[in-house]
Amino acid sequence: MHKHPSLPVHFLSPVLPPFLSPPASPVSTAPHHSAAAMPTVSVKWQKEVFPGIEIDTSQPPLVFKSQLYTLTGVPPERQKIMVKGGILKDDADWSTLGVKDGQKLMMIGTADEIVKAPEKGPVFVEDLPEEEQVVALGHSAGLYNLGNTCYMNSTLQCLHSVPELKSALLSYSDTARGNGIDQASHNLTLATRNTFGELDQSVRPIAPLQFLQFFFKSDSEQTLRKKYPQFAQQHNNVYMQQDAEECWTQLVYTLSQTLTSDASESAVLSMKQLFGIDLVSRVHCAETGEESMETESVYSLKCHISQDVNHLHEGLKHVLDCPVCSFLLEKGIKPKGKDFTMFYCQKVDYPLELDVYEFCSDELKQKLQAPRQMLRDAENAKFGLKTQGKASSSKENEGSSSNTGESSSMDIDKGKWFVLTGFKLILLVCVLNAADPSVPKKQLTGVYDLVAVLTHKGRSADSGHYVGWVKQDDGKWIEYDDDNPNIRKEEDILKLSGGGDWHMAYICMYKARMAESKS
Amino acid sequence: MAPPEHPSPAAPSEHSQPPPPAAAKGKAKKKDDDDLSEEDLALKEQLELYVLRAQDADPGVQKLALESMRNLAGEIAQEFQKRQDDDLPIDALMELVQQIISFHMKHNAEPEAVDLLMEVEDLDLLVEHVDTTNYKRACLYLSSSSKYLPAPDDMLALDIAYTIYMKFGDLASALRIALQLEKPMQYVKQVFTSTDDLLLKKQFAYIIARHGLAMEIDDEIAADDNDKEILQEIVNNTKLSEGYLTLARDIEVMEPKSPEDIYKVHLIDGRGASSSLDSARQNLAATFVNAFVNAGFGQDKLMTAPSDSSSSGSSGNWLFKNKEHGKASAAASLGMILLWDTDSGLAQLDKYLHSNDTHVVAGALLGIGIVTCGVKNDCDPALAILMEYIGKDDSNIRIGAILGLGIAYAGSQKEELKMHLSAVLGDSQSPLEVLVFSAIALGLVFVGSCNEEIAQCIIFALMERSEGELAEPIIRLLPVALGLLYLGKQDSVEATAEVSKTFDEKIGKYCDVTLMSLAYAGTGNVLKVQKLLGICSQHLEKGETHQGPAVLGIALIAMTEELGAEMAVNVMDTLSRLSHDADADVSMAAIISLGLIGAGTNNARIAGMLRNLSSYYYKEAAHLFCVRIAQGLVHLGKGLLTLSPYHSDRFLLSPMALGGLVTVLHACLDMKSTILGKYHYILYIIVLAMQPRMLLTVDEDLKPLSVPVRVGQAVDVVGQAGRPKTITGFQTHSTPVLLAAGERAELATEKYIPLTPVLEGFVILKKNPEYQEE
Repeated sequence: MHKHPSLPVHFLSPVLPPFLSPPASPVSTAPHHSAAAMPTVSVKWQKEVFPGIEIDTSQPPLVFKSQLYTLTGVPPERQKIMVKGGILKDDADWSTLGVKDGQKLMMIGTADEIVKAPEKGPVFVEDLPEEEQVVALGHSAGLYNLGNTCYMNSTLQCLHSVPELKSALLSYSDTARGNGIDQASHNLTLATRNTFGELDQSVRPIAPLQFLQFFFKSDSEQTLRKKYPQFAQQHNNVYMQQDAEECWTQLVYTLSQTLTSDASESAVLSMKQLFGIDLVSRVHCAETGEESMETESVYSLKCHISQDVNHLHEGLKHVLDCPVCSFLLEKGIKPKGKDFTMFYCQKVDYPLELDVYEFCSDELKQKLQAPRQMLRDAENAKFGLKTQGKASSSKENEGSSSNTGESSSMDIDKGKWFVLTGFKLILLVCVLNAADPSVPKKQLTGVYDLVAVLTHKGRSADSGHYVGWVKQDDGKWIEYDDDNPNIRKEEDILKLSGGGDWHMAYICMYKARMAESKS
Repeated sequence: MAPPEHPSPAAPSEHSQPPPPAAAKGKAKKKDDDDLSEEDLALKEQLELYVLRAQDADPGVQKLALESMRNLAGEIAQEFQKRQDDDLPIDALMELVQQIISFHMKHNAEPEAVDLLMEVEDLDLLVEHVDTTNYKRACLYLSSSSKYLPAPDDMLALDIAYTIYMKFGDLASALRIALQLEKPMQYVKQVFTSTDDLLLKKQFAYIIARHGLAMEIDDEIAADDNDKEILQEIVNNTKLSEGYLTLARDIEVMEPKSPEDIYKVHLIDGRGASSSLDSARQNLAATFVNAFVNAGFGQDKLMTAPSDSSSSGSSGNWLFKNKEHGKASAAASLGMILLWDTDSGLAQLDKYLHSNDTHVVAGALLGIGIVTCGVKNDCDPALAILMEYIGKDDSNIRIGAILGLGIAYAGSQKEELKMHLSAVLGDSQSPLEVLVFSAIALGLVFVGSCNEEIAQCIIFALMERSEGELAEPIIRLLPVALGLLYLGKQDSVEATAEVSKTFDEKIGKYCDVTLMSLAYAGTGNVLKVQKLLGICSQHLEKGETHQGPAVLGIALIAMTEELGAEMAVNVMDTLSRLSHDADADVSMAAIISLGLIGAGTNNARIAGMLRNLSSYYYKEAAHLFCVRIAQGLVHLGKGLLTLSPYHSDRFLLSPMALGGLVTVLHACLDMKSTILGKYHYILYIIVLAMQPRMLLTVDEDLKPLSVPVRVGQAVDVVGQAGRPKTITGFQTHSTPVLLAAGERAELATEKYIPLTPVLEGFVILKKNPEYQEE
């Protein structure tokens, strides 16, 4: 616009770096043309004061601004000069402004670059569609309680945290129903798949209505209550509270049938590979010396809790060591719905990291040795960083030491996951197992990490409240209290060991830690 | 301690009971008269006896005599009341009073003397009886009892105190009283002209600047141009920024803090660390936290971080990490960071004015207002710049400019502003939000002025708006604006309050309660408190909203009480409990309150509570926002600032500071539509209450001077005989030091003499000529 306004002669020289000009600017020394027409003012700009600037009142203010431009480097159009009645306008008349000799003026303005908005603005969480907000939230949604269905919600949340199970369910198609699978099981599997899908997509809590339907009523075509009518028990027209362990067992059982049966693609793991625990029982007759071996595959290990069991390890040992007859007795005690059963509210500690090495058979122990060593090395190398991830397959074997008779030992060789369930009375352990076939270099080590806990609060399995606690990828824990997920700390999880009226671990799910073999 | 007879409004009722001898009243008036003169005689005889006995050598007799003297004073007060009621002459009684007063004043019983004089409504007598040994105690008792007196007695008491201070040449004390008087200007001028000591005048200028009184230094005050300039500079608060930074450097807190330093997420294990995505609301919260924490330091890590630091991508563009209105608050936050530093503040904000984003421009305008808050300049740059924008088309820009003006010129009563902003109010085409903010700006600029013209403007605006508009939540700030005009002016509000009763019922009651609460703010008027309590206890069914301001009103009126300051600590637990309340509004308000009571303290307990709340409410965006704001407030100015409107030993109440606080509090009554909505920049109004809680001693050239001072809990010495200790549990520091609530400082050296009795803010020290180096 105004590149070279008509400046007073002495001004034309120093146009460039204004800051280099000496403090006593050339202006002050300039001769006066006419004292009356040229008042001398000082101008304050930021922290600097430029004294003795002459104003040629016969010229428009723009000339004055150009003078300041040479001093400050602020282009005239960006200069704001405070005079009486506001900001000095380019076309103002000096005579009306009443600028006096020696007056102090103030100039505001910078030569700085004007702030521009970045071309691409940030994306805000608030702007995202609902599905994408899930990721931002860091955990999946809760499940609405549909009337005493917290047992089911907590079970679903715990199982939902098993990515392998999720991928297995995803590949389960609507139509393909394998041989020997009844419609009800098929529907339940589908309902599970859909519920998991919804959980992953929603931020808001969802209502697992379909799943509940299928689980319930026996005759008609629908899921939980359908497949397992015992869950449809009503009391005063309200569905009763049920035992979460039963729910868990039944669901896992159904899934194990549906998911393994269809000739699953290699990438998908069967339930047996995931949760299976091979239990090897050695039956030894004390009288004849006869011995026979029986292998049995289970999806969970029960931890027997009696007076002298204070730790999961002891409970496991107890179960696996005991003679068959007493083992059966324990089974007999287990509550089967209907009347409420009192639980022992005994405190049983469980570790965040479970080592089942001592339960394994000798043969398995040998197999495990190499991977365990690797794991140890790796951990030493990482110095305490526990992110080693999946660990080893565990074959568990229980060498019976009793010479009184029969004893059982276990051998888990496929599980990547390991589930311990337990009442306040019986802690049941479920091992999630299985060497991931796609990563053949990883081996089981017999070390397991706690990833989910299902707890119960209250005095009987059929009353009280069930809650699922699930570990997240980033090490945080989420307490899924029906539709209300809360973030918890690791210490909180260890406090669930019972011995009071607080939530008590009922089912613990462990995940195998894998050792990476050196290539 | 204060005597048992409480000179509260309740007192007259006690005295209205007729004294026993007058029980047989009802006969002819003449008979009565005779009786009374006999009574006078009896009283006189008694008095003489007591005086005699009080001079007895036996301390036992003395004590008894003094005790009786007190009783006698009570009797005289009763008698006086009675004679006034019956319209009888009181001359004989007053003679007795004269004697008693002089006796009391000679015997260290100033409170009794003052009480008696208050009863007989002749405080002027006191002036003759005080001497150099007891005037301080008498004045202290007068000024502190004025808080409990109804108008106009309170002003009278202060006036007498002022006269006595002036009589004894205690000008600094006189100035403190003057600032509390009805029309301070003339008194202040008198104080200035009573001395030729330039240094003392400078100290006065500092006190005035702290109080925020807009004052022009004229030739009468300082004849010399140079002196005039220096004094004006001090009154204009030009050096406030410098002094504050001196304090900051001394305490070594110059290093800018980021919001993360305040949140301390690492102390809340497992939580808080959220996604990589930006949340507009959380970024806005961070903007505010950053502004509050780094207020006045001139540097921070978000807004002023040098853009050439390529290492961190967040700097430079933080502004645009905010959404829409958030950008306005972000730009304005720059004003907060550069608070009081007009020179560089205006320069930095200027470039945002050229932005093509209206929100940024609006924010920059508001920022200009914030930077110049409390700092005046002869060139009035804020006025010149902001005026250009108030007529713009865009509502956001207008609001930015208008609110900026309101903040920059709060309390200045500038005529230009009245003209321009009233025009906006009168324009029926103005959008509602612009109208509301114009009213608020006017309320702040003319705070406590009782300006009828503006009151009319606001009332008309309220009347003309349609019913639909009256239902808007933001409209509730109009009564607040109206109330600000009468802040602390008690009865003056009545005419306006009468008019407000005619309003639409949607706003009428709200307006009425708001006006009352603001007009009596800081007066301790018990009757009004009772009235408001009554309103609070009503059971509402139609969803009226006037109970909110009623509760605020109780707090406002009762806050003069000394106990109030202690209460802040007691309510902490209550607030902590309420901050978990199931009702979202209650819990959010409790959270903000936690921030407000702990503002500028860095209080570890509150900070801990808020951290826990931040993890408790990690999913509730609105709650989390409130928690962040509260965290920012607690760490206000890294703990160097306070929001207390009281200063100078909790004696002076800055109307601007109170006005700012009240406006924010009222806005918080409906958070959803204000600070959680798009008017979050209302929070910046709190800048009016922000003051460094420092003691900075300067030498005769006004350069910082470090001397040892004792800082301890203030002790109430009102009504105590002798020279009692004024602080307890003190520690010795060297200046500059921070003063917490309820703390007082005294010099720990004889080498200097402070020019003001209250060591707060800037204090000029003079060398003690009698001091000898040991």
